[in-house]
Amino acid sequence: MVSLGLTLVMLAFVVRLLQVQAVDADVYAAKAEKNRYSTHKLAAERGAITDRGGVELATSVDAYDITADPSLFTPKETKTGDAPEQAAALLAPIIDKDTDEVAEKLRTPKSRFTLLARRATPQVWKQIKDLRTALADKASTDPKAVNVLGGVFAVPTSKRVYPNAGLAAGILGWVNADGKGGGGIEQQLNKELAGKQGEVRYAQSGGRRVPTAGSTEKPAVPGSDVELTIDRDIQWAAQDAITEQVRKSHADRGYVLVQDTRTGEVLAMANAPGFDPNDLSQAQGTSLGNAAVQDAFEPGSTAKVMSMAAVLEENAATPGTRVTVPNRLHRGDRLFQDDIDHPTWYLTLNGVLAKSSNIGTILATGELGDTQEQVNKSLYSYLRKFGIGKETGLGFPGETSGILAPPDKWSTSQQFTIPFGQGVSINAMQAASVYSTIANGGVRIEPTLVRGTKGPDGRFTPAPAPKKTRVVSDRTARTVAGMLESVVDDEQGTGTKARIPGYRVAGKTGTANRVDPKTGRYHGYTSSFAGFAPADKPRVTVYCVIQNATKGSYFGGQICGPIYKKVMQFALKTLQVPPTGKAPARLPVTFSPGKPETPGRPADDR
Amino acid sequence: MSKKPELRGRAARLARLLPAAPSQAARTPFVLLVVLLLGGGLITLLLLNSSLNEGSFQLTKLKKETQELTDEEQALQKDVDKYAAPDALQRRARELGMVPGGDPAFLGPDGKVRGVPGAAPGTAVRPSAARPPAALPPASPAPSPTGTPAPPSASASASARQPATPSPQAPATGSPSAAGDPSAPASASAGGAPRPPAIAERPAPTTPGR
Repeated sequence: MVSLGLTLVMLAFVVRLLQVQAVDADVYAAKAEKNRYSTHKLAAERGAITDRGGVELATSVDAYDITADPSLFTPKETKTGDAPEQAAALLAPIIDKDTDEVAEKLRTPKSRFTLLARRATPQVWKQIKDLRTALADKASTDPKAVNVLGGVFAVPTSKRVYPNAGLAAGILGWVNADGKGGGGIEQQLNKELAGKQGEVRYAQSGGRRVPTAGSTEKPAVPGSDVELTIDRDIQWAAQDAITEQVRKSHADRGYVLVQDTRTGEVLAMANAPGFDPNDLSQAQGTSLGNAAVQDAFEPGSTAKVMSMAAVLEENAATPGTRVTVPNRLHRGDRLFQDDIDHPTWYLTLNGVLAKSSNIGTILATGELGDTQEQVNKSLYSYLRKFGIGKETGLGFPGETSGILAPPDKWSTSQQFTIPFGQGVSINAMQAASVYSTIANGGVRIEPTLVRGTKGPDGRFTPAPAPKKTRVVSDRTARTVAGMLESVVDDEQGTGTKARIPGYRVAGKTGTANRVDPKTGRYHGYTSSFAGFAPADKPRVTVYCVIQNATKGSYFGGQICGPIYKKVMQFALKTLQVPPTGKAPARLPVTFSPGKPETPGRPADDR
Repeated sequence: MSKKPELRGRAARLARLLPAAPSQAARTPFVLLVVLLLGGGLITLLLLNSSLNEGSFQLTKLKKETQELTDEEQALQKDVDKYAAPDALQRRARELGMVPGGDPAFLGPDGKVRGVPGAAPGTAVRPSAARPPAALPPASPAPSPTGTPAPPSASASASARQPATPSPQAPATGSPSAAGDPSAPASASAGGAPRPPAIAERPAPTTPGR
């Protein structure tokens, strides 16, 4: 009997052993595995964005999401009816939230998770932690006290910070809630900036790593740092000046671009109004983005420089060519006029640009060909070469190419308005690039915004060299530069406000009829000023635009000229560009109709 | 067992291979050695394990310390950035009575001045600037907190002291609050990628200019 009993018991053991060790082995092994090993994602640190001098414009810091488990705040758990209120009263001042709102969150029924504060600083979490520890100590000594903060936790995360707040915000963009770039460079170079997530898997016991048990770790690859061509100080000067003027003029918006004429690097690209990427909730939807490359507008008179360059390059005229400008000119289906009524002007080609005469420009570009069709074709080819209607090459998200219709689609009036910059749309970067091309001896260098990236290994990879194309000859470019000097230098010029004593400054004003984006009709003005300095040895191009100035003057020379001057002064100082000290070109602006034509110059019969 | 059984033939040969009477003397040290080795191994393992665990604790502690120091560094960096930001610098400079440099002028090594040096634009103070006495001579570093206007002769003395080569870091213009000014009117076109309206349908302008 006994032996039979023993045998049965043994048999039971054997069967169970077999079951555990053989039949269900996998299940148990998996169960053990699950509890024993824990896997964690290792977040890759997002690369910083710096200016050309290495000053950080965007960087990532540690942060904590403050969370809570509402089920630990119930009366049953805490033995007190108002635990959420007590906790909220303690937490609200630390996380800078409304007490009632926090209490409401902590009262969420049937939930084990609520987010109290997103991306709080480590200092905030430390304060809460210290408070929680103090309460826990008190609770352990005094049986009546309860730790109302027992259910508050933190999830480590990282936060993108922009130390200079709104500075260059349009270029930088922002990072969305998932940690991905949502605009600007953050979006354009998200892949480089983000890096690669890592993973670690180790045996754990009570949350602590077991040192002897094996672990596998795939380290995270930090993102690359991106170095922009922007100079923080010039950017600030530009942004400050344009913000002030947009406010004063009650304008819709404004942009300022500063470009190095010799390398095509963009030194500043400022928008107003801007936004603070640290706090997008306060930003206006319309000021997000980078209007300097995302807005298309009709440039107006600043585009006359391309017509002039075309006329000179084709040897159709010289700066001294006489142009008799009547008060009205009938062309196509309309009657053109200049910005002011005037008696018949006797201007040189140089004077046409200096006084920004529309009629003069129409007459001058008429010399580009024998028929209007030839004129259109020739002008179009120059506009294209200057980069109009094409991508700027920045590759910026949301960039517009502007609108330039092919010459066979030009309407009757467009044929005569395009020479003075109406009926064609561009973005501000394209316009700045036109002036840089003239400044750079007629060679267009594609603008760049990124100098290069610095990988996690610390190695700097420069951005690919920008494309260079010759647009006009060096001689033409120099002549146009001399003519642009008259705009600023001559008493009759429209850009006298932009003078910088001691320097030879080239510039051109622009006051265009603006297309209201709401109605698609002309309403208000686009005021602008473009130019470079020093005129005889150019280093910097500055382009300023103010859209729809509604208070005070709306003339480009009056409101953008001073901004051009301020920004140019600052840029010349920052880049330490001394004046060349040479005498200005001082090309003649007018001629007396009685005197004979200077020999060797083609006569203008109008 | 009083008499050994007799072995013959093959069995006897095999029996000769077996050790004769086991040696009593050699056994004790061997057992001791084994016990020692086992015990020693055990203790070593114990020590090893505890030192590993100790290391693990230390690692946790040091990691925590690193984290705290990183947090501190980031917090301090934030403070530094706050002071180093251009508009903060401008505000501070204004408080010290400094003004934007104006037209650039350069002093060559041969003593030749390039550019046209001029007086500092003393009165060009925006309403948002912290203090009015922008034309205070640089010699008086602390403008009175009540904002007493500068004496009329101040601008002359300021011009004499104006450096020939302005520092690139010196802020030029602007109000401290200008950068994030939300008061400007909202623009009509959307921020993303505004679609430029078609040009052809509109009447062409005849009176733009300048």
